[in-house]
Amino acid sequence: MESSLELTTSLSGTSLPPLRSRIFKIIVIGDSGVGKTCLTYRFCAGKFPDKTEATIGVDFREKVIDIDGEKIKVQLWDTAGQERFRKSMVQHYYRNVHAVVFVYDVTNGASFRSLPAWIEECRQHSLGQEVPRILVGNKCDLRDAVQVGTDVAQKFADSHSMPLFETSAKNPNDNDHVEAIFMTVAHKLKSQKPLVLSQPPGADSTVPVRKREEEEERGPWGCSC
Amino acid sequence: MYLKKSKSVGASSPLNGIGKQDWDSRRKRKVAEISQALSVTPVDVAALRRMAISEGGLLTDEIRRKVWPKLLNVHTDNLPEKPGEDLRENHKDYHQVLLDVRRSLRRFPPGMPDEQREGLQEELIDIILHVLDRNPQLHYYQGYHDIVVTFLLVVGERLATALVEKLSTHHLRDFMDPTMDNTKHILNYLMPIIERVNPDVHDFMQQAEVGTIFALSWLITWFGHVLSDFRHVVRLYDFFLACHPLMPIYFAAVIVLHREEEVLECECDMASVHHLLSQIPQDLPYETLISRAGDLFVQFPPSELAREAAQQYSQQTAASTFKDFELASAQQRPDTVLRRRRKEQAALAAQSQSHAQAMVVARPRAKRFVRLAVMGLTVALGAAALAVVNTALEWAPKLDLQLFP
Repeated sequence: MESSLELTTSLSGTSLPPLRSRIFKIIVIGDSGVGKTCLTYRFCAGKFPDKTEATIGVDFREKVIDIDGEKIKVQLWDTAGQERFRKSMVQHYYRNVHAVVFVYDVTNGASFRSLPAWIEECRQHSLGQEVPRILVGNKCDLRDAVQVGTDVAQKFADSHSMPLFETSAKNPNDNDHVEAIFMTVAHKLKSQKPLVLSQPPGADSTVPVRKREEEEERGPWGCSC
Repeated sequence: MYLKKSKSVGASSPLNGIGKQDWDSRRKRKVAEISQALSVTPVDVAALRRMAISEGGLLTDEIRRKVWPKLLNVHTDNLPEKPGEDLRENHKDYHQVLLDVRRSLRRFPPGMPDEQREGLQEELIDIILHVLDRNPQLHYYQGYHDIVVTFLLVVGERLATALVEKLSTHHLRDFMDPTMDNTKHILNYLMPIIERVNPDVHDFMQQAEVGTIFALSWLITWFGHVLSDFRHVVRLYDFFLACHPLMPIYFAAVIVLHREEEVLECECDMASVHHLLSQIPQDLPYETLISRAGDLFVQFPPSELAREAAQQYSQQTAASTFKDFELASAQQRPDTVLRRRRKEQAALAAQSQSHAQAMVVARPRAKRFVRLAVMGLTVALGAAALAVVNTALEWAPKLDLQLFP
C-alpha cells in the first residue's frame, strides 16, 4: 500500500506523470450530514478528521494506491448534500466519473429513503448500472441509534445490483474497513478495460471513458461486508 | 497586463514598506475621520464607504458595530425582538440549519469555552430562522451560516439579525433564490474578468475545464468559509459591505490572478487545477488584493461583461430590444461566449483598452492610478444608494450604464 497523499502543488508541468499511471475518478454522494467528507478524508488521510464542516460545492481528495504493482491515482469528489447544490452546481463533476459511492447514515432513515432520488440523479448523468456503484451505510458505531437495519439495506442494494458496506468513518477499529471499501472499488475498476490514462498537460482531457466491455457482469460484485 | 501595473504598485506602495509609526498616525487619523463622518447629521455614508474600502478597513470591531449598520442603512433604534421557541419546530429548513451550525466549530475563536460557543451557536440558529421566517421568499443555503456567524461575532445577536436581514434581501438575494441558477450566473463573471487581465491564465483554465465551482464557497460565504483568520474575514466584510454585490466575484478573480504562476505550472486537468485553486493561501496580501479588485471593477464593470454576453446573444437571436438585452444579461454565460468569440472580441478588447488608457493617461504613476481607481469606485458605490438595490443582476447593468456610459 502506498502512503496517502493529497495532491500537492509541486506536481508541475515539467515532471510528466509516468505513462500508464491510471486515474480512477469516483464521486461520493448522499444526503447532507451522512458523513461523505469524513469517509473520503478517512480514506485519503488515514484518520478521522477532528472538525468537518458543511461541504459547499465540491471538494476534491486524492490518494495514490498500489494494486498489483501498478500505481493508481484514486480521485474522490466529495459533494455538497443540500439539494439546491446538486440541482445546478454539481453536474459538472459527474462527467467522466468511473464509479459512484452512495452514502447514507444508518441512524437517519430519511437519508436512506433519499437513495432512490440519488440513484435517479446519477442515471440522468448516464451513471447507471454499467458503472460500478456501491452503497455505504455510515455511522454504524452508533449502535443504539440505528434506524436502517442491515436486512432492509441489503435488500435495497441487491435490487439495484450494488454491494453494500456498513461502516464507521469514526471508529478507529474500522480503519481497514474504510480503506477496504475504496480498494474494492479500485480493484473493480482495474479489472475493467479501457480507462483514462494520465495525460501530459495540454492534452485533450475529454476522452470518453465509459466504454465498457459487453460481457460486463451486472450483479452485485465483490461484496465483502 | 493591467494587473502587472497593479503589481508594481504593490511593491512600492506604503502597504508593504510602511513604518509602524507612520501607520499608527494614519490609523489615528482614520479613526478620527470615521468619528467625524458618524457625528454629522445626516451621517456621511460616502465617507464611511471610503473608510471601509481603504487600507485597513474599519480597523476595530467597536467601529464596525457603529459603521456596518450605516453601510446597510439599518436603524439601530428599532431592532427585531427575539423569536419565540415555536419557530424551530415549524421551519422547513430547521434541520439543515441545525446540522450546519452544530458542525461549524471552526468559525469560533479557538480559545472560546465550549459553553460560550454553544450559546452562540443557539443564537446563530435563531438569527437564521428568524430572517428566513420573516422573508419566505428567501431560501437557506449551506454557507449562509458562515456569513451570519461573522455578524453575530462582531455585533451581537439583535443587531446581527437586523443587518443579516437587510443583507439577505440585497447583497445575498441572488444566492437565496429557490434554485442556484443566479448564483451560477454570477460565477460566470469570473472567467471574463480573468481573461481581460491575463488571457493565458484564462485559456489554461478553460483547457483544464476546471469550471468555477472552486470559487462557489468564496462567493456565497464572502470568504468566511475558507479563511481561518477572523481578522481577514471582517476586513473583507468591510470592503464588501461598502461595495457592489458583485465585488466578491472580482475579489475571487484577483485571487486567481495573484496565483497566476502556480496556476500555469499546475497540471492542466480539472482535478489538479480545482484542487490548487480551492486551497486558498492564508497569507494573501489582502490590502493589495482589495485595491486590485476595486481597480478591476472600475476598469471592467459588470455591465461591460454582461454587455458582451448580451451582444453575442442578440447576434444569435436577432433580439434587439432593451428588454431582450436585460434578459440576455441575466441568462447568457459570458465565459463560453467569450471562448467562442475570440475574433470579435479583439475589437472589444481594444475598446476596453482605450477605456483603461483614458484612465491612466493623465496619471503615469501607477500608485496614483490605483488610488484614483479606488476613489472612482467609492464614488460609483456612493451613487448606488441601497434603496435602489433589487438584486445584483437586475440593477447592476442599469447603474453602470449611467456611471460608465
